[in-house]
Amino acid sequence: MAVFDSDRMPGLLSAQITVRYAGKAPVLRGLSLEIARGEVVGLVGQSGSGKSTLALAILGLLGRQRAIVEGSILFQGVDLLSLRERELRNLRGRALSLVLQSPLASLNPALRIRTQLREAWRAHCNDDATTEDCDQAIESALRSVSLPSSEQDRDFLKKRAAQLSVGQAQRVLIAMAILHRPALLIADEATSALDVITQAEILELFARLNREIGMSILYISHDLPSVAGLCQRTAILHEGQIVECGATEQIFTAPAHEYTQRLMAALPQLPARREAFAAKAKATAVE
Amino acid sequence: MNVARKLACAVVVAVCAVSLAANWLAPEGYAKQFRETPNAPPSHQHWLGTDDVGRDRFARVLYGTRISLLLAPAAALISTALAVLVGGLAGYLGGIWLRLARGFTDLFLSLPWLFLLITVRALLPLNVSPMVSVLITFFVLGVLGWAASARVLSTSADGLRNSDFILQARASGLHGPRLFFVHVLPNLKPVLYAQFWISIPVFILSEANLGILGLGVAEPMPSWGSLLRELEGLISFREEPWKLAPLLLLIVVMTSFQLLLSNEEVTA
Amino acid sequence: MKTIGRRACLQIAFCFVFFSLVLTADSALAQSGGELRFCLRSEPKTFDPLLVDEDASLSIRYLTGGVLVRVNRHSQELEPELAESWTISKDGRQITFKLRHGILFSDGSPFSAEDVAFTMQRLMDPALHSSTGDSFRSGSGAVSTKIVAPDEIAIIFPAPIAGVDRLFDQVAIMSAHSPKKEAAVLGPFMVAEYKAGSSVLLQRNPNYWKKDSKGRRLPYLDSIRLDIQPNRDVEMLRFKRGELDLINTLDSDYFDRLASSSPGLAHDAGATLDSDFMWFNQVASAPIPEYKRAWFASGNFRRAISQAINRDDLARVVFGGHAQPAIGPVSTSNKFWFNSKLKVEPYRPDAALERLKADGFHLQNGVLFDKSGNAVEFSIVTNAGSKPRERMAVMVQEDLGKLGIKVNVVTLDFPSLIERISQKFNYEAAMLGFRNVDLDPNGQMNIWLSSAEDHAWNPQQKSPATAWEAEIDRLMRAQASSVDPKKRKESFDRVQEIVAEQAPFIYLVNPNALSAVAASVEGANPGILSPQTFWNAERLTVNGTTRASR
Repeated sequence: MAVFDSDRMPGLLSAQITVRYAGKAPVLRGLSLEIARGEVVGLVGQSGSGKSTLALAILGLLGRQRAIVEGSILFQGVDLLSLRERELRNLRGRALSLVLQSPLASLNPALRIRTQLREAWRAHCNDDATTEDCDQAIESALRSVSLPSSEQDRDFLKKRAAQLSVGQAQRVLIAMAILHRPALLIADEATSALDVITQAEILELFARLNREIGMSILYISHDLPSVAGLCQRTAILHEGQIVECGATEQIFTAPAHEYTQRLMAALPQLPARREAFAAKAKATAVE
Repeated sequence: MNVARKLACAVVVAVCAVSLAANWLAPEGYAKQFRETPNAPPSHQHWLGTDDVGRDRFARVLYGTRISLLLAPAAALISTALAVLVGGLAGYLGGIWLRLARGFTDLFLSLPWLFLLITVRALLPLNVSPMVSVLITFFVLGVLGWAASARVLSTSADGLRNSDFILQARASGLHGPRLFFVHVLPNLKPVLYAQFWISIPVFILSEANLGILGLGVAEPMPSWGSLLRELEGLISFREEPWKLAPLLLLIVVMTSFQLLLSNEEVTA
Repeated sequence: MKTIGRRACLQIAFCFVFFSLVLTADSALAQSGGELRFCLRSEPKTFDPLLVDEDASLSIRYLTGGVLVRVNRHSQELEPELAESWTISKDGRQITFKLRHGILFSDGSPFSAEDVAFTMQRLMDPALHSSTGDSFRSGSGAVSTKIVAPDEIAIIFPAPIAGVDRLFDQVAIMSAHSPKKEAAVLGPFMVAEYKAGSSVLLQRNPNYWKKDSKGRRLPYLDSIRLDIQPNRDVEMLRFKRGELDLINTLDSDYFDRLASSSPGLAHDAGATLDSDFMWFNQVASAPIPEYKRAWFASGNFRRAISQAINRDDLARVVFGGHAQPAIGPVSTSNKFWFNSKLKVEPYRPDAALERLKADGFHLQNGVLFDKSGNAVEFSIVTNAGSKPRERMAVMVQEDLGKLGIKVNVVTLDFPSLIERISQKFNYEAAMLGFRNVDLDPNGQMNIWLSSAEDHAWNPQQKSPATAWEAEIDRLMRAQASSVDPKKRKESFDRVQEIVAEQAPFIYLVNPNALSAVAASVEGANPGILSPQTFWNAERLTVNGTTRASR
């Protein structure tokens, strides 16, 4: 059994935060989460447990909803909470990127795929970058997510969200997210709305990107099997706190916290499958 | 291109061509008074008859079309642009900006415009040429007509602000005017188009009403508005159906435009 | 009291029932004249005859009020009514009426000199603010009455009033003693029912004193139903359906339409006393360019404009022929006061140009320039919503365009227009109309005196700006202080001549009096004076069978 040691792996993100909305009980209470470079961390919790709040808090996109964020979010050694909006903006999409739950709603219905990708690229390109640079970046991102490049399907980039399948749309969003090779990709329920086969494909894509680019992923989900399949480490979020965090195998095979135990107990009680999960988790951890 | 669209296209082209050719088709001009035959029914000489003071209605319709078809959309453009600036932007920014903009819009809508317009008239000189009066009129309409559209737009933009794709765009590092113009505005397009097309006939009719305050298109220049004013107090359409020609033209042209543009929207 | 109380209505209704029972015995004489129906265009503001100041109340006062003397709306002569005869003292300060005997108010109370005295005192009471009373206020001091005998009364004024006898046409006599106050009337009809916003029902006054030549009691009609209906389209529609018997005044558009569909029903009684005209701003302090003020101050310029306007066309095109080219301040219909030496200014653009050249104007490439090289351009303001005036302005624009003059027509809402022409004077030329209800020139004092507010081209002057205005002042004062109609006419004739020469007002047209009378109405003789169609209401009958067949 190999447990990742944060002393050995260089830390990427270290968050200690409390988030509350004015006049209400805190959504996240002293939540503490660490992500190492190149690590895929699963964050599991029920709906409403504060998973998306954490994702938005890291990106600094909570402000508009009048949330109060206390604590610190150290990202690459900088406290994100102390940054100004301009500096945050510079990180968003470049070092930190986000993939949301419903791919079709996350693509702008009025814009062509090409426009959206170009816009995302332009947000962080150099002043002297040309259209060719841009198109090259897009091509390479599309290849990374196994979408047809312009040579294969000329019309693909001219499509709009409504003309794509859900899987394609999610790939486009992932392509957009990895355009600038971010250090951390936050996937907020990114596979929850997908059918099983597409889900498997996307999970595989995440795993591959993690391998190829060395990009860390915070994989937020309420779906335990997908977490088991993808993540090296898993954190369990319950009522605004991380109640348990550890190697995925350990969480699945020997849950310590009462809530985690209940979560595991809620999984289908087919022994074979449970074993399969455990084995899969072990394999991931050993890799 | 389906049949309806082809037809609409033909109508628009024909109307534009005919109104541009007004100088040749109606060489007598829109102001000449055939005083021997006022209120005449259609004849070989006057295809749509003559008006109260004997001016050729066909000529007036042609020249009026030229003016209204050019200036009413221009005014609608001004007002829609203002509506985007106030309503769209406020909806996109949300929060205090939205509340401020809504308050301002409501205030603007509830102002006693009649009195303000009377003041506007009082500030303008009496001796302006008809052409200048036309421009002033439509400019005033454009500048004043944005509020209702702004309200609609602010609501739509407010809805967009919280949508996933705007969140996604922000998470990609997009911000500011670029985010507004590239990501928000295209999604407001259907509302914008609707507001734009609604504004045009409204402005054409408002222009007629502004005449009451001495702000409309000045005599002897014709406009669709002043031609439609002829219909006031028209008792029986059956007796003088040709007087309905300007109204009919307005309806046909507006419908054609809508057909043309809505289709373009879908296929684009 | 603005409306009749419910109790008063009931009392009137009761009286009517009572008297109609009495009258049935007399039915051989009392022929049934039916019910006449027409529209009031607004709510009557009052039933008090002394407070009347708008059309609806005026109509009711005309039908219900008994007056000492009446101007015959047809002959324009003054005729005796409640007064058998009258005399005016030489100094013009006293008028003495000899009253008829045996006359009863509608409620049965007797009529005497006391009632006239009461009416005059109430009318002149400053606290009442009666506009009818205002015309009797000739100078400082009170109007007094002296009852010489029960049937004779003298009314004494502090200063002479020219044409005072005619003013009594407007004074409906009220009862001094009747508990019913203004509901007790001496006219042919009395108010029986008033539904606010809906209608006024008048019943015949059973005590009305007048009889026709065959000795039959007037009025012939049993009742008059006045519906309150401001919408003229609806009025026309209801007339066509046979629900109304009269339309008192019609627009020329409606008139032509009616004349073509049912020729017998439309009546054109000829030119009214009203006039439409235009004028140039001659106010010295007006915020207009100096050179324009110089044009407008020139009599030659004004006359030239007057000559360049084709009045025949205005009357024919704008009014469909139902208007007469105007000559001056007095309509040709005003039989006594019109100066018959005057003629319509003929349309002569060539003569107009000659006149302008005499003033240093010259034509260049179709544009008229003044002697300093300014192109001649001015604006005419008129009130929006008056179609005839807007059309006339457009035609004047075209006519003057032929002289190389650029005219801009500006229609303004009425309050703005009035503010411009009477307070700020920021206008160049204006086009408006006068509604003249008075045959007598005294009614025009407010226009012609240079110190008057309605001296539109240059109002409220401290001293007359021009010699001809001073002359008009003198003549108007002379006619007002004289009691001799001949001398008065001489003075006012001269005023009309000066106005024709100087053209301070450029008179355009006198619109005709247009009305509609249903075929079922017998005895109608529409005239030009208000009330055009029902001035002889007491002699009208409505034939029920004709109406049914319509």
